[in-house]
Amino acid sequence: MAQSNFDRRRINGPEESFQPTFEDDDDRETRWKPGNPRIGRGARDIRPIFLTAGLINQANGSAYIETEKTKIACAVYGPRQSKSTTYNEKGRLNVEVKFSPFSCTRRRVPIRDAEDRSVAVQIQQALVPAVRLELLPKSTIDIFITIIENDGIEGCIAAGSVAASAALADAGIEMLGLVASCSAAVVGKEIWLDPTEEEGKASSGTLILAGMPALGTITSVWQSGSMTPADGIKCMEACQERYTDIHAVIAQSLLDNAQNNT
Amino acid sequence: MSSDIVLPGQPIPIPRGPIPQVGSGVYSRDGTVRASLIGVPSYAGSTLEIKRTRPRPPAPNSVVLGSVTRLSPLQAVVSINVVDGVPLPAGEEFTGVIRVQDVRATEKDKVKIADCFRGGDVVRGLVLSLGDARSYYVTTARNDLGVIFATSEAGATMEPVSWQEMRCPKTGKIEKRKCAKPEGM
Repeated sequence: MAQSNFDRRRINGPEESFQPTFEDDDDRETRWKPGNPRIGRGARDIRPIFLTAGLINQANGSAYIETEKTKIACAVYGPRQSKSTTYNEKGRLNVEVKFSPFSCTRRRVPIRDAEDRSVAVQIQQALVPAVRLELLPKSTIDIFITIIENDGIEGCIAAGSVAASAALADAGIEMLGLVASCSAAVVGKEIWLDPTEEEGKASSGTLILAGMPALGTITSVWQSGSMTPADGIKCMEACQERYTDIHAVIAQSLLDNAQNNT
Repeated sequence: MSSDIVLPGQPIPIPRGPIPQVGSGVYSRDGTVRASLIGVPSYAGSTLEIKRTRPRPPAPNSVVLGSVTRLSPLQAVVSINVVDGVPLPAGEEFTGVIRVQDVRATEKDKVKIADCFRGGDVVRGLVLSLGDARSYYVTTARNDLGVIFATSEAGATMEPVSWQEMRCPKTGKIEKRKCAKPEGM
């Protein structure tokens, strides 16, 4: 059975792979225990962001984002003519996400998983309201996102949306505003912004908020796990406060890039 | 200079007086004029716009350059390479169609596609409409529109001798084309 969907085109790793476990891994004092404050940073702090636009020169526009252990590259191609046979008054925004095989603690099998598609849907939803697709009839914009390293899927989605919006602006595609995105997790009674993978596992529920701070509008809210409505609203407020800072980071990197090009 | 560059979503300060018309790269929402592209806003007459240097898809009234890829008695199919003077990246061409009634403005009923275009000719055209799902409708019904570059059967670059004819400098043979008026004449 395993032979039938054996992938002959790629170098195949072992069927199962596990992280090496270290003896002192479990009884480390640095491990977070319920009731303790967050380790490493404040509850409402996000990881530092490094963002540059225009890294991939054969793409129409591109961006690279790094927030500690999350590393994402994004390329935008188009607008190009739609391949579909139906006439479309509005343009189409196509988002494709790929995890590198080594991006997570467990090896990612290139084709067989579905998580990349759900991440793509969420990023697409965050971006669509911002792009002026009505100006691009019969055209398609392709966004390719490669997750080089993943530290928390929520952070990946948020950083992916940020990178994609920077890449779209770099590609000279008309947008209503820049999209910024931030994630939050409810851990115990606290709200932690931009959770890592560890912290995501320790949390009861997570929320990802995307919007255009320049216009004061929200483009997408994505909540998973359990969360009281009051916590949900608190998370959204915290995210909204923080993504204004993220917006400033995007704006600065795009300005630097624009000045280097002139 | 840094303060002059605006980013998508950023409001553009407007001097007192009448609100300018919004051009490309600019939009107006809730009474505020905002940028939708990265660039320096400038006035062209009374329109405020941000010029885009990146390639864009063809729109009605844009002047395009393309090469003829397929001919039929009813239409010529062109692969559009340049839109409003901005070349498109390789592999991202748009397809356009010149229908027999759009070749020239006069004697439309006497037009024969085979006497106007040949495969490989470079044509300057004007986009009429978005056309159908597959292609844009392009017209050459103007003096400055038509074939601007063509090679003869012998392989030499031909020169236009009249509105409907081109001559091969190698063999002296005349071939029929719908020629564009050369620039600067």
